[in-house]
Parts: sequence; C-alpha cells; structure tokens
Amino acid sequence: MIDLSPIVIAEILCLVAAFLFLKADKLTFWKLNIAYLFIALVTEAFGSYLSDQKVNNLWLYNIFIFFEITFIFIGLYHCLKDYINPKPAIFSGLGITYSLYFGLLIKDSIMAYNAITVTVMSVIFSFYCLYYYYLLLNDEKFVDIKFHPQFWWITGVLFYYFGGTVYNLLDDVFDIRLFTNFTLRYLIVIILNVILYSIWTYSYSCRAKQRKSQP
Amino acid sequence: MQSETTKIATLVVIATLIFLIMPIFLIMYIRSYNRHKKNHILEKQHMQQKFEAEMLQTRIEVQDRTMQTIATELHDNVGQLLSLTTLTLNSVNLSDSEKASVKIENSLSLVNKSIKELRELAKLLHGEQIVENGIGNALQQEINWLEKTGAYQLDVNNKLFELETTSPDKDLIILRLLQEIINNIIKHANATAITLNTYYQNKTLFLNVEENGVGFNYEKTKTTRSGMGLNSISKRIEMINGKLILNSTPDKGTSIFIEIPYP
Repeated sequence: MIDLSPIVIAEILCLVAAFLFLKADKLTFWKLNIAYLFIALVTEAFGSYLSDQKVNNLWLYNIFIFFEITFIFIGLYHCLKDYINPKPAIFSGLGITYSLYFGLLIKDSIMAYNAITVTVMSVIFSFYCLYYYYLLLNDEKFVDIKFHPQFWWITGVLFYYFGGTVYNLLDDVFDIRLFTNFTLRYLIVIILNVILYSIWTYSYSCRAKQRKSQP
Repeated sequence: MQSETTKIATLVVIATLIFLIMPIFLIMYIRSYNRHKKNHILEKQHMQQKFEAEMLQTRIEVQDRTMQTIATELHDNVGQLLSLTTLTLNSVNLSDSEKASVKIENSLSLVNKSIKELRELAKLLHGEQIVENGIGNALQQEINWLEKTGAYQLDVNNKLFELETTSPDKDLIILRLLQEIINNIIKHANATAITLNTYYQNKTLFLNVEENGVGFNYEKTKTTRSGMGLNSISKRIEMINGKLILNSTPDKGTSIFIEIPYP
C-alpha cells in the first residue's frame, strides 16, 4: 500500500496541473516538467513504500538527485536565455555539481545520502535564481511578473532551495521527533515541497495563459 | 535534555522561517521595482507620443507656411508677370513688324522670368525635401524669401551650409522656429533691420536673430493669448533640449538667442 504523504499529494496535484496546462506546449522545457514531476512522484511514492518496508531507500533518492540537477539546470538555462547567453554560467555550474555528485557517489557509495551535493547545488540554484531576478530588473523591457511563468518557476526553485538551506546544513542535528514517526525535518520538507509545487502549478497556469495569448 | 531539544527545534524553525521569509521580501521588492519600471516606460511612451504629435504639428505648419508662400508668390509675382505678358501681347500690331518684334521679345522675356519663378516655387513644393538638403539650405531658403520682400535691411551670416551631421526631426523643428520668429517680426515688430547669425560649435547649433522693432514685455506677453507663438517656440526648444534667451526692450527691438544640442 502506497503511503499518500502530503508530499505525494502535492506532487500528484502538480503533475495533473502540469499535464492539463502543458500537454499542448510546443517548448521542450515546459513539456519536460511533466516528465520530471512524474519521475519525482514515482521516486517519492516508491521511497515511501521502501521506508514503510524498513528498507534503505537512500539509493533511490541518490539516483533522483541526478535527474533533479539536470532538470533544474535546464530550467535555469531556459529562463536565463531570455536575457543573456547562459551557456558558460550553466555549464560551469553543471560541471561543478556533476563532479561533486559523481565524486561523492564513487567515494561514499550509492547507499549513503549525497547530502553535500544537495547542499552545494541548493546554493548554486539559489545564486542563479537571484541572478535571474537581477537580469529581469535590469532589462529594459517590462514584463508583468504577476503572470510571467518563468518568473514563478524560478521563484518556486528559490523558495525550495533557499528555504531548504537550513534543512540541508543542519541535516544531522535536528532529527527531533514531534510525534511518533514524524520529525521536524520531515515537517520542513513537507512545507518546502508544498510551496514548490504550489508555485510551479501557478507558473504552469501562467504559461498556459501566455501560450494562448501568443499569436 | 528536553529543554535542549526544544531550543534546537525553535532555532531550526526560526532559521527556516527566516530563509522562507527572505524570498517573500525579495519578491515584494521586485514587484515594487517592476511597478516603477512600468510607470517609467509608460512615461517614456507618453513623451514619445507627445514628441511625435508635436513633430506632426510642426510638419503641418511648415507645409501651411509653404503653401502661403506659394500663394503669395503666384498672386504677387507670377500672376503679375503673366498679366503683363498678356497686355504686351494684346498690344502687338502685326502691321508694324519692328515694334511687334520688340514686344514679342519682351513678352518672351516675361514668360522666361515666369518660368524661372515657377521653378523656384516648385522647389518649395517639395516640402519635406527642404530639410533633406541640410538645415543650412533650409534656413537660407527662408532668408531668401524674406529678402525678396525687400521690406528689411538684412545682415545674414549663415554658417550651417557645410554642416556634416544631420538630424531630420530637429531640422524640421529648427526651420519651423525660424519661420515662427520671422512671422512674429513681420506681424508685430515693425522692424526695418534684421540680423541673423547661425553657426555650429561643440555639438551645439546656435541661432541668433536680432531686430530693431518696437520690442515688447516678454514676461507679460508670455502669459497672454497673444504670446501663443512665443509659447510654441519655447515648448519646441524645450522638447529638443535646447535653450532660449530672449531680450526685448520697448522701442529698441528684440534679440533671440537659441542653443540646440545637435545632432
């Protein structure tokens, strides 16, 4: 029996929204969101199942990190390319993150959670999101950010990775149990995921509107 | 031990909250900055529209002025020449071949003069092309027209013929400024002498017009309806970031000094 945790529910809702809003989209990046959310949902559901079975699920999350790094960098590339040629910035960030990911995976084995990579990539993603804001503000063109899908997609990423910095840094310290089988860390992860998927859902609806308004 | 755990939990919750609130403030800042950017862009668009409307108005005024000049020339000059030609030809007596030959010669000369005048007028009809030949030529054409009236003693020093840079929009406005100034002199100044200096220095175009007319109270005239022409001059100079210095003394005349960043 799959445990329907709040994270899984948020992911299902976001996946459904992504499917409805983005299935007809012509841009690869937006369609890729559906695939990524599907992988995230499968990972989360299977991870929960393994956890219920008292089986180590860290290998699964370690594999998912690879997809996460790739997808977020693709998204950042897509958003930044409206203002600059993002290839040098994206490829250097991707190079650092992949090197760390594979290096630590080889060093510590796939069964140990790759926390350092997650911390480093969170910092890199947050930095790129802030850089996007900087470019957006400095651009001569005016965009109505209220309905700008790229802006909200980036905002979702910033909330999740910047907000998760404490969680990443204090990963070992705060395994505090609020209830039986419910830690403070888990509560923060739920909140972060709900924020991320809510903002992304809004971003997808903006994208659908944008696509319809474009000739 | 329990209190230690609670402390850590509180610390973690506060730190996470801070990390979540910071992006909220950031978004609020971006929203506010973006709103200012929107207002700025709208203001710029509004100014651009105003500028374009003013340019259109200037163009229409230049065309009006050209048509007036043509009408006056046709009536006072070409019309008179052709009337004289008709009279001369009517008086030709073919039996007196010697006199007839002289009269026909005179008529031909009058017709040729009319053709020359008409060619001059055709140049004016090109309207937009006036400024295409450079601001120096456009201003000179205006001065030539003034000279033709013979009503003023002119002292002209136009150094803009060899100007290498151009700015079509500004040229049209400058031409219109001179037309308006000349118009004001003809209508109100009662002047007998006009001095006109134009030159270009340090990316600035200078236009200086002086006359010995009746003069007026600049400050007072500015606020009245009769000061519409002056207001229009000031507004247009302001629009192209220029500067206007006007000195007028009753019974002694007026001097207008205009500086325009160019091109």
